[in-house]
Amino acid sequence: MADAANATSAGGILLVFAVVVPVIGMLALLMLRLLGLSRAAPVALVAIAGGTAVAFATAYLVIGTQSALVYVVGGWAPPLGLALRADGLSAVMMAMAAVIICGIALYARPQFDAPDEAPEGRRAFAFWALLLGLWSALNLVLVGEDLFNLFVALELLTFAAVPLVCLDGRAETLEAALRYLVFALVGSVLYLLGTAILYGQYGTLDIGLIHDVARPDLPTHAAVALMIGGLMAKAALFPLHLWLPPAHAGAPAPASAVLSALVVKAPFFIILRLWFDVLPGPSAIVAANLLALLGAAAILVCSVVALRQERLKLMIAYSTVAQIGYLFLMFPLTVVPGVPPWETIGWTGGALQLISHAFAKAAMFLAAGLIYEALGHDRMDDLAGAGRAVPVSLFAFGLAGLSLMGLPPSGGFIAKLLLLNAATLAGAWWIAIVISIGGLLAAGYVTRVLKRAMAAPAAAIHTQPVARSRELAALFLALCAVALGLVPLQPFGLFAIGRSVMP
Amino acid sequence: MSFAGLLLAATLLTPLLMVAACVLPRFRARVFDLLALAPLPGLATALLAPGGSLVLAPSPLRIVLALDFPGAMLLGGSALLWTTAGFYARSYMPEQAGRAGFSIWWLLTLAGSFGVFVVADMTSFYLMFSLVSLAAYGLVVEEGSARAERAGFFYMVLALLGEAFLLFGFVLMATAGPAGNPLISEAVAALPASPWRDATIVLLILGFGLKMGLVPLHVWMPLAHPVAPMPASAALSGIVVKAGVIGLIRFLPFGQPLAEWGTVLIALGLFTAYYAVAVGITQQHPKTVLAYSTVSQMGFVAGVIGAGLAIGDAGAPLLAAYYALHHMLVKGALFLGVGVAAATGTGRQRLVMIVMGVMALSLAGLPFTSGALAKFAAKGPLGDGLAGTLATLSAVGSALLMLHFLRLLAGASKAAPDATAPIGLRLPWLATALASILVGWALFAPATGYAPSLPLAPDKLWAALWPILAGGALAAALIRWGARLPQIPEGDVVVLAERCAPAVLAIGSGAEALDRALRQWPVAGIALLAIVLAFAGALGVSR
Repeated sequence: MADAANATSAGGILLVFAVVVPVIGMLALLMLRLLGLSRAAPVALVAIAGGTAVAFATAYLVIGTQSALVYVVGGWAPPLGLALRADGLSAVMMAMAAVIICGIALYARPQFDAPDEAPEGRRAFAFWALLLGLWSALNLVLVGEDLFNLFVALELLTFAAVPLVCLDGRAETLEAALRYLVFALVGSVLYLLGTAILYGQYGTLDIGLIHDVARPDLPTHAAVALMIGGLMAKAALFPLHLWLPPAHAGAPAPASAVLSALVVKAPFFIILRLWFDVLPGPSAIVAANLLALLGAAAILVCSVVALRQERLKLMIAYSTVAQIGYLFLMFPLTVVPGVPPWETIGWTGGALQLISHAFAKAAMFLAAGLIYEALGHDRMDDLAGAGRAVPVSLFAFGLAGLSLMGLPPSGGFIAKLLLLNAATLAGAWWIAIVISIGGLLAAGYVTRVLKRAMAAPAAAIHTQPVARSRELAALFLALCAVALGLVPLQPFGLFAIGRSVMP
Repeated sequence: MSFAGLLLAATLLTPLLMVAACVLPRFRARVFDLLALAPLPGLATALLAPGGSLVLAPSPLRIVLALDFPGAMLLGGSALLWTTAGFYARSYMPEQAGRAGFSIWWLLTLAGSFGVFVVADMTSFYLMFSLVSLAAYGLVVEEGSARAERAGFFYMVLALLGEAFLLFGFVLMATAGPAGNPLISEAVAALPASPWRDATIVLLILGFGLKMGLVPLHVWMPLAHPVAPMPASAALSGIVVKAGVIGLIRFLPFGQPLAEWGTVLIALGLFTAYYAVAVGITQQHPKTVLAYSTVSQMGFVAGVIGAGLAIGDAGAPLLAAYYALHHMLVKGALFLGVGVAAATGTGRQRLVMIVMGVMALSLAGLPFTSGALAKFAAKGPLGDGLAGTLATLSAVGSALLMLHFLRLLAGASKAAPDATAPIGLRLPWLATALASILVGWALFAPATGYAPSLPLAPDKLWAALWPILAGGALAAALIRWGARLPQIPEGDVVVLAERCAPAVLAIGSGAEALDRALRQWPVAGIALLAIVLAFAGALGVSR
């Protein structure tokens, strides 16, 4: 590993801030009474503003210098100390997470604004504290360089995400949360087992150091298989998705949005690190095809299941499982002889798919939450009238749907185009066909909602008004997904920044 | 920005800005009355800016507008029809709350239909093609009835299928051609040398042929075109199907002969032309007959394009566009005329029937009409062989189908015996009918290169007339023995597709059952274990 990667770079301290600022916000929430405040939301919003500034500054520095940001904790270089590192993909994902958290915070503010002493106050406090904790853990996943460090970050993320599922305390959401917790813990055990084997083999857990010395032998393969298996369970890759639909559909809308848009992306991000940075030697095409095969099954089966859901939020949750499948299609598509994986079209398409899905799915869950509040339910059969009640939300839903269907102009369209392009170049026709069918099925489940929601109700229905600012928050995230469609149609350097030091 | 560039931008932006302005409630209330104004910049562009181009966004986005001659003809014709149909809609559509929603779909379809004629880069073309395809859905289901719902369902499913074919085809072209977002012409230039040439051409024919209604992908058309409100039917049948024509014109490589693919397209097109006539004469609703006539006519156009492809005739696209322009205005006038005839009493029908008779037989090539000119011009690439003969004989079928239509139309009056249609319906209709003849003659020489006196020679007049006489004889036979024909439902083979519904539902419940099984704890646990083992094995064997 190059020396430069072992020294703290200018501005590297930002990576620490990215992890710490949300934690400071959390601590401030704990001391609410001492500060003489009664509401959690304003304090959390200040912390979110600070964290967003840090994320943007990080992205600005990484893109400006065209190199990764590194911070070596305490000046002790690995293997003695810990390193934090943000390359192009990490920086973009940090900025993406910040924008989505901002949108979700604006949306959630009127919903979780009860003063501390009110009965609703505990819930409001819990929401904001968990949101900040989750964000800190997510940033740690994105900048971590040490496999055990990543494990800790992942656990923090899980423990912040699980209570978000059962925030309303109903029995069915408690059960969903428990399912989530147990399955995530099984995944953690597998991951930890793999980590232990790697440590036994190489005496270090720093990704960069392992990368330099890894051998293609049985223990290494077993370790990586255990870790990736555990991470698949946490990412809800089909057929390991048993926990996701009830958890994501049962949570309050802003929590669903953060779970579907951001939380499932964290284990996937670590899978990327393991696959590209830890696994030794040339990429393993058989294993890559296995991952893509599971992804394809996710797309086909769960899109059909989404098409048949009777509840709007369950439909969106199944759509998430299907869309996660698209991410796993990228592995065989990054295998191009003579080209580093992160300069391939498949890598760019996969990364763009990850980002555009995050924006689109967050917008969709937020919009669905408003439809739920306006109508008092989310039954598919009785959505008629939603178009009149919450037109802006439905518009946001439609724009987000555009990205999921892969129709222009949207980030989902460009991602689909790049993945199709990569599949053609790789001669992987089956992947191209799955992508096309997935788009048709997505069009089916999105238009099914739009059509029903735009119909006039048979009888006059009673609707609740919703705050316009919340509708605009959903619209803002949907517009971000659409704006991603304006990026140029070629592999771009952004996602390759800082990766060349890991040849 | 040049003047031509400014006009090109205004062509697309005017309808889109009108849609955006619908956010304002005051504009929203009035937008319906302004529909006829939206296409006017497009009309001006077609007249003043052929040859112009505009780079809206530089590389790497590279959004480029350009107006070539085929594009200008179709843009001008569609702008004319959108204008007259917009005026017609004002009288035709009753006062009701839903008119603003209808207007938005109308404007989006309009913008997309202009877009496919004027954009020059691949991504923008796909965007515009999607826009015109998907926005037209709103026009199809406007009526809100169960019949419209069913038509809308098949329209949407097939439109999305077409999008998927096209997207894949475009990706293959882009992968084989220059990187980034190439101009259509650059990508087509690279197509003959592409390793995926045949797959690309198949996907393009499927995608664009679906929009044109080539059998068996035509099923949506006889369902969708008749259920829309009259002015929207005119736009759907006249204009929206031309997105497929311009697609084939722009995307197929005409530079060198591609005999096999040309022959495939000729066969597909001519089969469609005959098939639609055969089914059309069993239909009992004038608008449905017109929809089948569109299927048949588009089959003919596909035949012309296929002939050009087979012999590598770079002039064939222009002739196909000229034919499409003729069909656009004539079919528009016919649909608008159905509404006029319905509002005209039996006592006052004569003038209406004469005009409709001329328009209807124009589709069969009646001398002096645009149809005679278009069919005369199309003989060039089709030649004198089997294809040429079959194409000539298809005029007999068109005449038969159109006489059947006229007979249905004469009995379709819903008004009091001495009623006349409102002037707001009659004027746009007559203007469209007149325009079809004037535009046909005005563009004959520039589009085809023939002298205008050529189709007026006695032998040519006879060549145009005899198929109509033959069609008349067949029509007489149809009246005599027509009752023995089987009753074929609208959309013919769609009924077979509907029989597959239980199988499709079974796939759905199968997926649900699979999902339920996989979400059991023991199953998920075993799956996790199996995946880890399989993955470790896969990593091992890869070395």
